Amino acid sequence: MKVLIIEDHQELARNIHDFLAKEGYICELSGNLETAREKLGLFQYDCILLDIGLPDGNGIHLLDLIRTEHKQSNVLIISARNALDDKIVGLDNGADDYLTKPFHLAELHARIRAVYRRKNLGGTHIVEFNEINLNTDTFEARIGNTTLDTTRKEFDLLLYFLVNKNRVLSRQSIAAHLWGDYTDNLANFDFVYQHVKNLRRKIANAGGTDYISTVYGLGYKFTMHKHTAETKNLDEAH
Amino acid sequence: MKLTNKFTIWYFAIMMVVLLIGGAIVYFEIQWKISRVEVVRHEKLNDLIAQQVSKGSDYSNHPTRKRATISEIPADSMPKEASSYYTRGVGWNPEYQRNEYRLVVTSFYTINSRHYRISTYSFIPSFYQLLPGVVDSFKWILLLLLILVAISGKLIPKYILSPFKRTLKVIQCFDLKQRKPILLPETRTDEFKELNEFLKKMTDKALEDYQSLKEFAENASHELQTPTAIIRGKLDLLMESDIRDDQAILIAEMQNALEKLSRIHSSLTLLTKLENKEYTAQKPVCLSALTREALESFEELIQLKSIELETYIEDKVYIDLHNALADLLLTNLVSNAIRHNIPGGVINVHLTKAGLLISNTGLPPQVPVAELFERFKKGDPASDSIGIGLAIVRQICELMNFNIVYEYVSSRHIIAISFQSSHPASKLLQNLNFPLYPVMQP
Repeated sequence: MKVLIIEDHQELARNIHDFLAKEGYICELSGNLETAREKLGLFQYDCILLDIGLPDGNGIHLLDLIRTEHKQSNVLIISARNALDDKIVGLDNGADDYLTKPFHLAELHARIRAVYRRKNLGGTHIVEFNEINLNTDTFEARIGNTTLDTTRKEFDLLLYFLVNKNRVLSRQSIAAHLWGDYTDNLANFDFVYQHVKNLRRKIANAGGTDYISTVYGLGYKFTMHKHTAETKNLDEAH
Repeated sequence: MKLTNKFTIWYFAIMMVVLLIGGAIVYFEIQWKISRVEVVRHEKLNDLIAQQVSKGSDYSNHPTRKRATISEIPADSMPKEASSYYTRGVGWNPEYQRNEYRLVVTSFYTINSRHYRISTYSFIPSFYQLLPGVVDSFKWILLLLLILVAISGKLIPKYILSPFKRTLKVIQCFDLKQRKPILLPETRTDEFKELNEFLKKMTDKALEDYQSLKEFAENASHELQTPTAIIRGKLDLLMESDIRDDQAILIAEMQNALEKLSRIHSSLTLLTKLENKEYTAQKPVCLSALTREALESFEELIQLKSIELETYIEDKVYIDLHNALADLLLTNLVSNAIRHNIPGGVINVHLTKAGLLISNTGLPPQVPVAELFERFKKGDPASDSIGIGLAIVRQICELMNFNIVYEYVSSRHIIAISFQSSHPASKLLQNLNFPLYPVMQP
């Protein structure tokens, strides 16, 4: 996937770049409106990450150009301004999603994948990994031929894991993903623990492989390989 | 009391004093003038009589002698300076056969080395005869003034105070949020000009301050969120590198602190925005649907904590509230009820057109419940929350003129919000479907 990151904060842009590069995405950086216009004039991108507050103008202005010249590109606005107006204006002008800083990189990735699925896969809403099969349209999860009886949150969690395979997902990131910005009163990460526990149990009951492992102190990880003995022990110690 | 009425009353009081003093002046002036005219007449008459005497003819039946007395006096009785004087007093009027007020003018003459005293008199209106006339005329003047002042007191202020009233209207319609400078009506009155200038300056300053406050809030939001986002990203990346367990703990602690920082920050920014009244309802929201949605999104958490949920949600409860605020209000209240609940507890949500009532079982509060609405006030100081959820709830209620109360009764935390400001929220507590005051029910 080719991604254009229009963000004036070098460090933040590098974070995103580094994270997405691991997924094998090809990322290009642009620090202002002018270079962004140049790049958009020359190349095509699958996804455009657009910061609104740029040194030489409001990123919203780029949306017109993108809408006419880059119809197939997904646009995700990333902004520090949690102003509702910006959100509405952005989405009205053809942006596909809106993410407020500070966000977790895993969350950004999940959003990129979500808009990509919505727009590019021609109506198929299936996310697959080995025996796991998720339909993001009907919220149906299957392990092989068995339908997994998951709650909506568990489904979201599994999808989040699948999108961010082989990555350590912090409890904060998972909580923010599942409950949005309103986690203030729910800072108790026991809930995350409970959800993960239930999900693992359900997958195991359906005969699936337990790909989810606990990362000591930090959170969880969806690994393609079976647990090593070490992580397994820590897992049980939790 | 109206300003114009005050003016009118003061004007009346001053008028009464002026009229009283004026009446006295008029009375004495008339009295004196009448005396003066009579005295001059009689002096001339006395002169005439003196001429007649000097001619030596007999004038005893002449009309001049009708009220005259001529007597010859010795030389030493002649006054040295004045040649005439007058006296006033009551005297017998033989023509009228009664006592009347009389003016006597006495003059002294030396005619052919003989000395004469000639005095003549006439009757003039007395004090008591003049007074009713004066009083009468002043009565009419007063009446006329009263009528005129009363009428003008109604009509003139309307004209004079109209710029003031227009200014008042403009000020009442002034709204910081619309960011429009006020347009005040032109006036020729100095005081109103001054007032308008002052108001103009004041509102312009307020607009400026509001703008800079808003800009500050937005800049703070922007400038702080970006570094936070950078740190968070770096931590996310660091987590995936090869790290030892003790380092993992350090990272996790940093993540926690960062989470808190960003939450405090966004909550404070939100509170500022609420205070600035940046959210106004475009159209009424259906609170019934939103409440169901909020409960649904927390359904699993409620189940995880083995909490029993009791709901009574009336259909089609519409209130004028910004959609995002309604969402925020409900989420904060519900998550609060979950967080401070006990395992196996109960949450009761009761929504009617009159108000919303959320109660949950929980441990007794450590601080007075009213204080829990304060920012950064927490029932349990050790908890992870930042203690701003209820402050946001209260701010939203204040913004919308909702009445909100928090009570802890029979081991339940109850938050009641009345949507009508005239209807106190405490009344909502009365129609609960669980025994709120068990002591009151035998």
